Amino acid sequence: MKNQDHLTPPALFMRFFRWFCRRDYLEDIEGDLNERFSQLIDEFGVSGARRRFAWEVLLLFRPSIIRSLDSFPLLNRPTMLKHNLKIGYRNLLKNKTYSAIKIGGFAIGIAAFLVILLFIQDEKSYDQHYVEQDRIYRLVNVSSNPDFKINRWTAFSAQFAPLLKEEYPEVEEAGRMILRDWYLAGENQFRKIEDTRNTYEEKFAYADPQMLDILEIPLLYGTKEKALSQPNSLVISKKKAEQYFPGEDPVGRTIVLNDFEEKPFIIGGVMDELPKSHLEFEFLITLTDVEFWNGEQTDWCCSNYDIYVRLRPDADTEALEEKIMAIRDNYMIRYMEDTENAFADVIREHRTFDLEPVGDIYLDTETFADENLTGDGQTVRLFGIIALCILLLACVNFINLFTAKSANRAKEVGVRKVVGSFRSDLIRQFLTESILYSTISVAVGTILAVAALPYFSQIAGKDLSLPFLSWYLVPSLVILALVIGCFAGIYPSFFLSAFKPMDVMKGRLSRGSKSPWFRNSLVTFQFTTSIVLVISALVVYQQMQFILHKDVGFEKDQIVMIQGAYTLGDKTDVFKEELQKLPMVEAVTNSNYFPVAGTNRDNNQFWIEGREKIDDGVGAQAWYVAENYIPTMEIQLLQGRNFNSAMAMDSAAVVINETMARKLGLEDPIGKQIRNYRAWNIVGVVKDFHFDDMKKEIRPLAFFRGRGSASVVAARIKGKPSVATMTAIRKVWDEFMPNQSMRYAYMDESYAEMYRDVDRTGNIFAICAILAILIACLGLFGLSTFMVEQRSKEISVRKVLGASVQQLFATLTANYIQLIVISFILGGPLAYYIMKSWLENYIYHIDMVWWFFAVAGLAVAAIALLTVSRQAIGLSLASPAKYLKSE
Amino acid sequence: MSKHKLGELEEIVLLVVAILHGEAYGIGIINEMKERLDRKISIGSLQTVLRRLEKKGYVISEFGEATKVRGGKRKRFFTVTNFGKDALQEARDQRMKLWNAIPQITFER
Repeated sequence: MKNQDHLTPPALFMRFFRWFCRRDYLEDIEGDLNERFSQLIDEFGVSGARRRFAWEVLLLFRPSIIRSLDSFPLLNRPTMLKHNLKIGYRNLLKNKTYSAIKIGGFAIGIAAFLVILLFIQDEKSYDQHYVEQDRIYRLVNVSSNPDFKINRWTAFSAQFAPLLKEEYPEVEEAGRMILRDWYLAGENQFRKIEDTRNTYEEKFAYADPQMLDILEIPLLYGTKEKALSQPNSLVISKKKAEQYFPGEDPVGRTIVLNDFEEKPFIIGGVMDELPKSHLEFEFLITLTDVEFWNGEQTDWCCSNYDIYVRLRPDADTEALEEKIMAIRDNYMIRYMEDTENAFADVIREHRTFDLEPVGDIYLDTETFADENLTGDGQTVRLFGIIALCILLLACVNFINLFTAKSANRAKEVGVRKVVGSFRSDLIRQFLTESILYSTISVAVGTILAVAALPYFSQIAGKDLSLPFLSWYLVPSLVILALVIGCFAGIYPSFFLSAFKPMDVMKGRLSRGSKSPWFRNSLVTFQFTTSIVLVISALVVYQQMQFILHKDVGFEKDQIVMIQGAYTLGDKTDVFKEELQKLPMVEAVTNSNYFPVAGTNRDNNQFWIEGREKIDDGVGAQAWYVAENYIPTMEIQLLQGRNFNSAMAMDSAAVVINETMARKLGLEDPIGKQIRNYRAWNIVGVVKDFHFDDMKKEIRPLAFFRGRGSASVVAARIKGKPSVATMTAIRKVWDEFMPNQSMRYAYMDESYAEMYRDVDRTGNIFAICAILAILIACLGLFGLSTFMVEQRSKEISVRKVLGASVQQLFATLTANYIQLIVISFILGGPLAYYIMKSWLENYIYHIDMVWWFFAVAGLAVAAIALLTVSRQAIGLSLASPAKYLKSE
Repeated sequence: MSKHKLGELEEIVLLVVAILHGEAYGIGIINEMKERLDRKISIGSLQTVLRRLEKKGYVISEFGEATKVRGGKRKRFFTVTNFGKDALQEARDQRMKLWNAIPQITFER
């Protein structure tokens, strides 16, 4: 005999049949079906029978057998719906506090969910606007060399892009860009040729003419073909065109950068406003006929260009990535072998290429291209999880409150069942009720979200708003209300509708829920989430404080950086002397390089003299600085001396940092020689200092003597920076540069700027933690109110028998303390694990110490107890007579 | 013109009901048709035909006893009414008349 289950016809089809069949035909045809099914089994076996049975049922679905429309139970639905809504509404009004807590908690959760969803949507909306979206790629170098910290980067040699276009038919177009601060890319002093006064402008980039086509840049004036085709042409943004040439077509006008009138630029076009992109530029300077030094365009020595390509629709990217390896072998490696560079083997072994879809670039944090705007994919995912958690918390709250109140609804359920309600009717009733609540909550939550968005936008550094004009807003809110209404309502409705009339009428269920463990685990879930979020917020905050106050190896306070100072030219030294004469200025130095973001970086390969053909060498920053730079920045000299122009041979002097000495393997570096394109004498070693953000390890660095002008003049001032100080400095500047207004920044502020994203993450975590606690406490408040109601008689009896207020309080709160302890045991390790992996992003980070956990645990426990105690104390103090007299 | 109108399937089903004589119910009829005519018919089409015949008054039906085999569901037995018998008779007579009218030549090769 086969399994009994298999011998009954497929339930789904049988139910379908029962649903549609005419009532008076139902019995005998169903019998026929049963009989037919057992015949089919004998004939075709079980699975064959099930398939043929389904077919039989479908063939029965015909007008003569389907019952008439008005016999379907569908048609009293509107009436029942109206009835259910009315009952729900009355229940809502009956318990106003309770309903307010339910809706409030729900609304806060939904608001948080919506806001975070908008944030994520915004982060994901970058570079999604291209017509040829899936054919545009950025080329990325990939290195599998475990010795490298950076495994993906975007810089290529000048010849690479033209070769791609020539050699591979699947590359429809290839273009190069330079986005980082390099020559004219980055920032410049800008003026029309007829003007005399310069204006500081940022966001310059170099681009091949093809880039206009590849990136589908819309032009208001000029044409894609011609805008950048002439040497020394550039295109400007609509914003800048309106600023400098209001109401006219600026194509053909001449502008001057950095007062260099010998080489003016002609405007070739105006770009319309661009949708969100990882690329940000206001000015694109053509790369047509540009050669940064003699032979640069054909030299494989250096990698300075980012490459973007548009492929043919039928191109196979993986195959192409393979084919590009030919360029690696025929050009890159050949060049290295010709110059006897030991790197050739490393490249042959480890280098590959990746075509990265343009839409993925913004959230890609793996690839090193710090000139681009990047979001943080990890943070986005983290926030997504938090958003879901908060929504879940809100749902859990709702479930808890709904079921806790079940005793009050038990009688209603009993009576309804006696009068003839089916369980399905009751389930429908409670679901309607929960959807009613969720709809109100979504409405309130949307209003809350709209109110909170400006503040959140500020914190997140974004401009977020609800898409009021989009067609999908209202439908998606309605769907949201329905989905979470059903989700939150499903357990309570099944739970409530399961009451047996007899039990209810006998009063057996008056103690409320049968399964406190379910509610307890929900409360535990809420507090676990809260504790995790509180610990996370604490860790992020501490890490932030650590970064901002860590001894970074130089003194960043009281330094004013005057930017754009290269236009001083020959007058630089005099300007520095004049500044030095001011009483509040302690020291003045200048350089292009400072240990904060927004100043130059430079990478050079160095070898110990005589070993350049043998070793791989060390990639190091080469910083050209004024003689007094090291003492002025208060960077500590460990060995040797600073530059000294009075000494002969000082022009070949180099001061290196500890890391560089270590990487070069120099035990006693003073007096040794290193070389890049020429030889240098090491005269000093400085203590390591942080010049990149702390996510990165301190890299090798070498100081060289720089002379004359540089982009930044930095002054260390005495005492607190004041308006008077700045006025005095500005006065000196204006004497030298009347045509250029002074731009300056305090170094400590620029430093803090580098960590604004950490700050943001911390703030958002803190807000989420507060919200989670708030929601959990709202729930707890509701639960404790209910508990007090339930246990009033018990407590009164205890009191009459002589229990003290403290004992009663302990009795009432013991359960909650237990739950919080369990939450802590669960949440602590979870938070530890999550935050440990977050901290690993930072090479320099704090360790998690026990008191983070203690503080978070105690804080959550205290808040929870406070919430519960209001009710508990009230009951403990109340006169027993009040609750017992009615008995 | 005759007052009876029987479709081909209706006629066959009616005949089978008559053959089964009081034992004709859904699956029974299907099995009989399969056996005698090697003709397969779905429950859906059979029931449609049966109900139409019942509506026209050619058959009547009544429930039998509940048995265990069919999931406890009773069978509905169909029997041919006199009116139905007339209809069958007439259909047959009409056929015979037509058969007899066929000249011999028609079948010659």
